Amino acid sequence: MNVRFKSSRKSAPMEEAQDWSACLERVGSHGDREAFSALFAHFAPLLKSFLAAGAGQNSENIEELVQETMVKVWRKAGNYNRSQSNANTWIYTIARNTRIDWIRKQIRQNPNQLHADDIYDSEATVTPHSSLIALRNKRDVSAEIKKLPPAQSEVLALMYFQGHSGQQVSEALNIPLGTVKSRVRLALKRLKIALAENELELEAQEEAHA
Amino acid sequence: MIGRHPDSALLVEYASGSLELAPSIAITTHIQFCDQCRRTVESLQAVGGEMLEEAASVPVSDDLLDNVFAHIDSDSSQEQSLSRVQHEVGKVHSENEVLGELASTVPAYIRKFLPAEPLKWRFLSPSLKTATISVGEDVNELSFLKIKAGGKAPVHTHKGTEITVVLKGCFSDEEDLYQPGDFIVRQAGETHQPIAAQNEECICLSVLSAPIQLTGIKSMLNPFLSFAPS
Ligand SMILES: [Zn+2]
Repeated sequence: MNVRFKSSRKSAPMEEAQDWSACLERVGSHGDREAFSALFAHFAPLLKSFLAAGAGQNSENIEELVQETMVKVWRKAGNYNRSQSNANTWIYTIARNTRIDWIRKQIRQNPNQLHADDIYDSEATVTPHSSLIALRNKRDVSAEIKKLPPAQSEVLALMYFQGHSGQQVSEALNIPLGTVKSRVRLALKRLKIALAENELELEAQEEAHA
Repeated sequence: MIGRHPDSALLVEYASGSLELAPSIAITTHIQFCDQCRRTVESLQAVGGEMLEEAASVPVSDDLLDNVFAHIDSDSSQEQSLSRVQHEVGKVHSENEVLGELASTVPAYIRKFLPAEPLKWRFLSPSLKTATISVGEDVNELSFLKIKAGGKAPVHTHKGTEITVVLKGCFSDEEDLYQPGDFIVRQAGETHQPIAAQNEECICLSVLSAPIQLTGIKSMLNPFLSFAPS
C-alpha cells in the first residue's frame, strides 16, 4: 500500500501560524494574489500527492488536476465562509469534486451533463450548527486522526486518498466488507463524529466483542 | 422523526467521493431532511481536509503557479457558467411542467437533475408508477416512485441494492413504517412489499443498482424488469 501519513507530523510553528482562512478571504474579497500564492505554496504540493493517489495517473496529468483545483479555489473563494468550514476542508471538497469530474471524464460518463458540484449541494450547508462544527472539527479531528489505530486509519486513508469504496477496501486488504464497515464506525467514534442511532447500536455490539 | 439513515461507511464513501452519482444524489436528498447526517457529512469532509493536510508534500513544477494565474487571467468568467447556460437553453418546459403532479413535492435540490421534457410515468402495477431521471451514469438507475394512497407495490426481490428515500407521504413494509426523509437500503435477495399509508399517496426517490425480480407475478407482464440504466 502506498498511502502514508506524514510520520510524526509536527508542523513548523511558522506554518502553523498561517491563517489559511484569512488568505482565502483575502482572495475572495479582493483577488489578493499574494494571499493566493501563499495558499498555492502550501496546498498545491499536498494536492499533488492527494490527487495522485486516487487518479493513478502520471504526474503530468496530476499537475493539470492541481491546476484545475487551484483555479477553482480562486474562482470560488468569494463563497468561502470560515464559519462553515476550515480552509483545508473547503479546499478538500473542491479537490474531491475536481477528481470526481476528472475520473468521469476518463470513462466518458456524460461528463457534460452533471458536475460533482451539482451533486453535493454545497450552497446548502448553512445550518445553525455549522460554525460550532467547524470549531469542534478543527480541535478534535486533527488531534484524534493521528491517534487512530493503524487498522482504522488504513481504511480511512484508502477511502479518502485512493477514492476506494468500502467494497474496494475489502478487496484491497482482503478482509470482509463487514470488517471494513466496523472499522469505519470505530474510527468515527474515536473522531467524535456523531452517528445515527442505528449505527450506535451496531457500534455497541462491536465494542462488546472487541 | 427520521428513523433510517445511510450507514457510516456509505457516508464516508459519499464524503470521500467514491460513491456513484445516483446514490450520492440519494444521500444529498436525505440530508435535505436530516440535520444529523448533514452534520456527520460536514465532519467527514473535515476529516478529508485533515487527510489533505496529512498528505505528503510533493513539489510541483516551478511554472505551475504562473500557469494557474495565466488561466485565471484568460477567460475565467466565461467558462465558469458554461454548463448552466447550456442547460437553460435546452429547457423549453418550466420545472413545474416537467414535474407535473410532483411540483409541490420535490425538494429544490433535486430539481437541477430534471430532464427538459415532462417526466414520463410508467405504471408498474395499478397502484405504483415510476419515472426515470437520467443522471449520466451507467451503474444505477435513478427514478421517482409513486404509490397511490393505500396502494400496494408488487412483492419483489432485489437482485442488486435498492435505496429509497421517502419524499412525501409514508409507506410501510413487513419491517417498519417509513416517513419523509427516511433512507432505506434493501440488499440483494431481500423480498418485500411496500404499502402506502391509507390517507395519502407516497412519493419516493429510488436508486436501483441492478434489476429487481417480481415475485409471484408473471414477469413478462411487468415493466419493473425493464431496467434501463440511463
Ligand atoms: Zn440521517
